[in-house]
Amino acid sequence: MKLLVTGAAGFLGMAVVQRLLAHGRTDIRCNVRRRTDISKFDSLSRQYPNAGLEYCIGNLKYRDDAARAVRAVQVIFHVAAGMQGAPADLFLDSVVASRNLLEAVAGDRTVRIVLVSSFSVYGVARLRRGARVNEQTPLEARPEWRDAYSHAKLRQEQLFWEYQQRHGFELVVLRPGGIYGPGGGHCSSRVGLKIGNRLVDFGGRNLLPLTYVDNCAEAVVVAGTHEGAAGEVYNVHDNDLPTCREYLYAYKKHVTNVMSLRVPYFCLRLLSRLFAKYHSYSKGQLPPIFTPYKVATEWAGNHFDNSKLRSIGWRQLVTTSEGLRRSFAAFQLELESSGDVQPHIRVERKPPVVENPMKYS
Amino acid sequence: MTLNIGIVGCGKIADGHVEEIQKLSCVRLVAVCDIEPILAEQLARRYSVPHWYSDFDRMLYENRLDVVHVVTPPRSHLALTKKSVEAGCHVFVEKPLAMNWEEGRSLIECVERAGRKMSINHWHKFEAPSLELTEFVASGELGEPVHIESYCGYDLADNFGRALLADRRHWIHQLPGKLFQNVLDHAINKITPFLPDEPLDIIARAYRRRPLGADDSDGIMDELRAMIFAGRVSAYLTFCSHARPAGQFLRVHGTKKTVHIDYVYRTMSVEVIQTVPSAFGRLLPPFKSSWKSLVQATRNTREFAGSRFHYFAGLNRLLSVFYQSILQDTPLPIPYAEMLLVSEIMDEISAQVYSPVVV
Repeated sequence: MKLLVTGAAGFLGMAVVQRLLAHGRTDIRCNVRRRTDISKFDSLSRQYPNAGLEYCIGNLKYRDDAARAVRAVQVIFHVAAGMQGAPADLFLDSVVASRNLLEAVAGDRTVRIVLVSSFSVYGVARLRRGARVNEQTPLEARPEWRDAYSHAKLRQEQLFWEYQQRHGFELVVLRPGGIYGPGGGHCSSRVGLKIGNRLVDFGGRNLLPLTYVDNCAEAVVVAGTHEGAAGEVYNVHDNDLPTCREYLYAYKKHVTNVMSLRVPYFCLRLLSRLFAKYHSYSKGQLPPIFTPYKVATEWAGNHFDNSKLRSIGWRQLVTTSEGLRRSFAAFQLELESSGDVQPHIRVERKPPVVENPMKYS
Repeated sequence: MTLNIGIVGCGKIADGHVEEIQKLSCVRLVAVCDIEPILAEQLARRYSVPHWYSDFDRMLYENRLDVVHVVTPPRSHLALTKKSVEAGCHVFVEKPLAMNWEEGRSLIECVERAGRKMSINHWHKFEAPSLELTEFVASGELGEPVHIESYCGYDLADNFGRALLADRRHWIHQLPGKLFQNVLDHAINKITPFLPDEPLDIIARAYRRRPLGADDSDGIMDELRAMIFAGRVSAYLTFCSHARPAGQFLRVHGTKKTVHIDYVYRTMSVEVIQTVPSAFGRLLPPFKSSWKSLVQATRNTREFAGSRFHYFAGLNRLLSVFYQSILQDTPLPIPYAEMLLVSEIMDEISAQVYSPVVV
């Protein structure tokens, strides 16, 4: 059975290829954008000498590249997505690329597609604070009020369901929370916003729906290959979630002593109303980062549920404390090599009150 | 009267057009169009535009448009402009005007034949300091222009740079002057008003500074220096994608004074002949300069407080003047001859730094 992994050279894509190999799958086609990306698989090829990794260089935003990528494959792990850029770029890389992929397999009812969607497709702004987010939570009704990334990911997922209804192929959708790990981003926007060298801490005691990159990749592979998963959606996050405060404390301790300023949620709500008024009055002189809708979406705080994923046999391969340890070690190396690291002036400060102070230290 | 506006091309820069159009009371954005329906849909949804299309003819047919903004890659500017003016619309074109001077001239001719109006997005010329410079020059305070330096910094690590370097089929690679042609319009159009109507002598050199093999698009050069001579005026043109910060500035050296405009911070400073003698002549100027900076900062703060300090404030002014020229039949904000002169200079630079590309 030939498998295709799109975005295979990316942060999650590489981990998915690794997990597929670990599960004994060897006939894997890796879709990468550039020839230079192929060298990233050298260590995997050494680790799995029997792996039949095949490389398909191409950009899915072009129909001919998409058609070439899907030729003669039975399962597609669609991991590729636009992560940054202008809204048009995000839609090109996530939605147009997906449409091309879907057009290329249209009519083939035997193919199974595993889509890596996102937590950001949920419409959580209207939920009460602390409400549990699971697979039944309604999807975002006003994506244009959110950020372009969420908008593009929602449109991407809708497109997959539309094509699935029309063509009848098997579709499995995974919605990961924040994927972290070495090579990934340092701080989720749920924790706060980095302004210059300072961080404004909005997250406080909110739970961070993180998933370590290997755990997420394991979820993609388990759900993607599980017989009963067709037509299902799975939320992906780890079992032992830290709070934003715990994450930030550990980040400061192990990576860089970034200065942070805590802004409580009620202040943030108030500020967001003022900001929205100013945004409207000034006709957008400052970007609409803090609308009440975005604040409610991002920082109101929710609980999360991954029981559906666990029910099909997924298990967390790397504990959160180990995942954070590996990530922070890599982040610190990154900062040191870029020269951006702030001197580790270890001012002894009283740690914040955390649920289990030893857990992530 | 309210003008009905349509936009064709829903890429990154279309956001700027939509935002500035929606700030103006004399116009109404009624439709957007892109050959890729997903891009048209996302733009319409994000900005609450009533109609979106993937068929340009249909957009023209179903909407009584007065102005079409052509915001597509330059290869399609001529064809879309022709269709627009044939449908009775005026046209606002994103820079660069066209693939080359010949196409640009054809585009202007077809607009003139149809009795319509056209302008181009040379928005830096409508920034507050640029307008101040125009007044300054007209008042005679500068004297005769002697030499102009136009500097254009660029960051290839930004969204657009990353996109074009990662994709050999990006439309930038189809332009005869590649990246330079897309960006240098802004640097060249700051020089052209000072050039006398005399034959041009241009010397251009370009090179690739980033290491080979760092990306797949080795054909893209990233540093350019050009010298332009016209009669008794000379100019330097710099495109620099490695120096930081990636600034944008213009220096105009006149026979009486020298003007420096910083387009990033939106300031204009004037350097004058020192009249105070001896050591005081060296001591006082920095104080004078600091005072002038404070005045500029105060002016910008006033602009900010009055909500006139948006990123595309220059585009907003340019569009206002263009729409007024349609509504009240006043002169165009940018003369066609100036647009063609920019194309002519760009063609010569492209020819010198790149081998000819079949268009």
